[in-house]
Amino acid sequence: MSEQTGKQLSKEEKDARFEAELLPVLDPLYNFAYRLTLDEDDANDLVQETYLKAYRFFDYFEQGTNAKAWLFRILKNSFINEFRKKSKQPAKVDYSEVEGYYNSDDVEGEGGVASTTDMRTESVQDLIGDEVASALNALPVDFRTVIILCDLEGFTYEEMAKILDIPIGTVRSRLHRARNSLKEKLEKYAKSMGYNS
Amino acid sequence: MESRFTETHQKLSEDGHESECDKIVKLLDLMIDGEASTEEQSYFNTHIEECVPCFESHQKQKLLKGLVSGHLKRVIVPESLALSIKARIQETV
Ligand SMILES: [Zn+2]
Repeated sequence: MSEQTGKQLSKEEKDARFEAELLPVLDPLYNFAYRLTLDEDDANDLVQETYLKAYRFFDYFEQGTNAKAWLFRILKNSFINEFRKKSKQPAKVDYSEVEGYYNSDDVEGEGGVASTTDMRTESVQDLIGDEVASALNALPVDFRTVIILCDLEGFTYEEMAKILDIPIGTVRSRLHRARNSLKEKLEKYAKSMGYNS
Repeated sequence: MESRFTETHQKLSEDGHESECDKIVKLLDLMIDGEASTEEQSYFNTHIEECVPCFESHQKQKLLKGLVSGHLKRVIVPESLALSIKARIQETV
């Protein structure tokens, strides 16, 4: 049962190279998986599957090329081909959770304002982060994906086109539409919190 | 449906061509993503020095990108994950 190794690396050499080049991408990859599946266990499975696939095809990976883009592409394909079908539920938002939190926390009352300035700043940061997360999670997965790739992971349009197997023009228009709907959702939130947007 | 038509219609200036501001709107994403060419950048920057609505659109678009890049919390990778990946790889012949 031998792998087709064109380069005749020993198993140890191959493993060492694999770990050195690809494991550093674990953190962004897991975050991407989580934003796609919205579930920690699913993200875990998806990332493991991605690394196993990458290992099988590692001989075809050109050393020194963009390992991060390569892994993201494998993960996105696994997500589409296999994962989405068997996923427990269509990835949907947990808006209710966030809303419940705001309502029960007496945001309008004076009671909530009694904390120190530092704590307030920190919790405002948290609120913004939570709200951005739920607005993002409420987007269709294709929209969510381009925003994550671009704004969170800093991929170029060209890299995104390769990861997603779509032309650059499609990357641009999808990103544009994705940002418009994200904007819409966040503006609704700003209004509901009594800010003038 | 009617309103959508109106919207599209308004985007065209009277002679039926794109206005300068329409072109600027199309460059917004390229600008905030650092994907605009040198020419596009100078066209864009010259315009927003003169045009308040486009200047504001640019500010808003930057803000939106900043909300995602600066506020979205990263999830923490479970410690066991790297270990189990390594273990499964070692098993693979
Ligand atoms: Zn303008």
